[in-house]
Amino acid sequence: MSRTYDVAVIGAGAIGTSSAYYNAKAGVKVILIDGGDIADSTSSRSDGNILVCDKQPGFDARFAKASQDMFPGLSDELSYDIEWTQKGSLYLIEGPEEYAIAEQFCKDMRESGIDMRMLNHEEVIADEPYLARDVYGGLETMTDGSVYPMGLAYGFALACERLGGTLSLHNRVLAIGKKENYFIIETEQGPIIAKNIVNACGVGAPKIGTMAGLDIPVQARQGQILVAEQTFQVARRKVHEFGYMLTKFQSGGYERPVSERVRRNEVAFVFEPTRSNNFLIGSSRSFVGETVDNEIDVMQALAERAIRFLPVLADIKVIRAYSGLRPFTPDHMPIVSATPVEGFYIAAGHEGDGIGLSPITGQSVADMIAGRETFMDLSPLSYERFGKN
Amino acid sequence: MERNTGVIYEGYPSMAEIIAANGWPSEERFAKGPIAVVECVQEIPCNPCEAACRFGAVEIGTPITNTPQIDSEKCIGCGVCVAACSGLAIFVIDKTYSESEALVSFPFEYVPLPEKGDEVEALSRGGEYLCQGMVVKVVNTRKNDHTPVVTLAVPKEKADDVRTMKRLVLPEGGPGFERIEPEGFLDDRVIVCRCEEITAGEIRSAVRVEHATTVTEVKRRCRAGMGLCQGRTCERLVNRILSAESGITPDQQKGTTSRPPVRPTTFGELAGVDEGGKR
Repeated sequence: MSRTYDVAVIGAGAIGTSSAYYNAKAGVKVILIDGGDIADSTSSRSDGNILVCDKQPGFDARFAKASQDMFPGLSDELSYDIEWTQKGSLYLIEGPEEYAIAEQFCKDMRESGIDMRMLNHEEVIADEPYLARDVYGGLETMTDGSVYPMGLAYGFALACERLGGTLSLHNRVLAIGKKENYFIIETEQGPIIAKNIVNACGVGAPKIGTMAGLDIPVQARQGQILVAEQTFQVARRKVHEFGYMLTKFQSGGYERPVSERVRRNEVAFVFEPTRSNNFLIGSSRSFVGETVDNEIDVMQALAERAIRFLPVLADIKVIRAYSGLRPFTPDHMPIVSATPVEGFYIAAGHEGDGIGLSPITGQSVADMIAGRETFMDLSPLSYERFGKN
Repeated sequence: MERNTGVIYEGYPSMAEIIAANGWPSEERFAKGPIAVVECVQEIPCNPCEAACRFGAVEIGTPITNTPQIDSEKCIGCGVCVAACSGLAIFVIDKTYSESEALVSFPFEYVPLPEKGDEVEALSRGGEYLCQGMVVKVVNTRKNDHTPVVTLAVPKEKADDVRTMKRLVLPEGGPGFERIEPEGFLDDRVIVCRCEEITAGEIRSAVRVEHATTVTEVKRRCRAGMGLCQGRTCERLVNRILSAESGITPDQQKGTTSRPPVRPTTFGELAGVDEGGKR
């Protein structure tokens, strides 16, 4: 392989395939390399939520919204049905204390341009008929949606290929060297030469970073999901508990009234209907290294917490469980950035938001490499913010 | 010597047993149009016929071992109870079909099914040949859980006795005796994953167009194996198609990831096992 590429994207998950696609779309010569398949790791062990409701007001929310706004046209643009649906999302609130926090959050998000509104008890009960009758209130986000996450990655990768990009799958990267203005990427299938590299390896980003002498602070934060059988419409759109925000950001002095099992597994109720007439139940969070096994204790806590909000689930069957690794950074924000190694970019560390943030991340990386201005100042996503190297 | 008759001697009920247990429509009622005839003479704890009737024309009541009674005023002869009866003991008779012929509808759970217009051998309750019958209708719907109901036109005087038809002969090596996993090339239109209704063509496309190289990679692209059975039924076939496409033999293919639960289990069962569950 003596061909020289303008951009080599390493990692073929949602972020990597998107980065490869938007670079190919910009007209540069791209190769997408992965040690496994497209969407082989976190992107095939995730849910498909495209949310702005779970972001922090300000930059985080605006970045997510810009990405969400790219989804409606994507199936057509990629000639691939990514199963985009946009029905909004609903947070469930358990009591007055949570309601007060949510009200402030709603106000702040509206100031960031996110369309949200509070629902009182009667409104939330009317919104989804199968909800537990004691749900105190709700917070609705109008623009949230979902996709088939693997389909998104296939769509990006196949569209990239049609634009002339090269897919190099099942080809592990072994080492990275630099000679003048070129990187020499040693792979199982021989060397690949590229002017720029995008490290889009998610949880594996630190390993690739080390090959280029960079210390990338990404850590695996495991999450488990239960898959339900096909059944009637339990809820028409995404429903989750507002307490999810508190577990995601590990913030605030507020303690949810939950069982010890739910607490120790950091379980927060998330319901996601799919296009296949079934649904997914999340979520859990734990730092347990890079294992993707399922734990019965976590599965039980997920089921328990789900029944608390949707009692009708008690008689519906779980057909599968799975487990994935979120690429976590210390400040919950991704790294979409150039680095001190010229031509080496990072697009990783999106924690649980990589599917939703993939279009804007890929677009931004393509802009950075081409020397174009990004759609907004992305310094909050810079590698420099961690003070490394 | 007089032969003992009745269900415990012959395996099918006698007319006297039927009349005693279920009653029999009057000829005046028969003259008005189709009506269900129940021939359920044993006191079995069973009542789907009662629940199936939208007109409240079938009564069992309590105890559940009561034998069903038909209200001839309410019954319109729709035949819903025919497929609902797990004992295959309900029929619909229509003596108003024509001057000389009546219709008899009965459940018929044998392949091959007859087709409309076929002339078949009409049999009695005891399976004896009575006369020729013409197939007027074959209903085989999902709503009836695919219990086929066949309607025959027979001479009017045979209507009280015709209760089934002679089974048709399966063609040599024809459907019914095929291997579950057929040999040879699977047509693109063959459904391989029955849970998700994924065809062989869709699986080939996942390999040829979308670069799938393993059973898991096929599954992620087209959902083959993602349904209720989790690939327990179709995985071998997917593997075979994949092997034909890629040249990697089935035994060298990478298996799929096994995940809990081993069998589908309810959220309630899962949550109730330990502390916290409210059960």
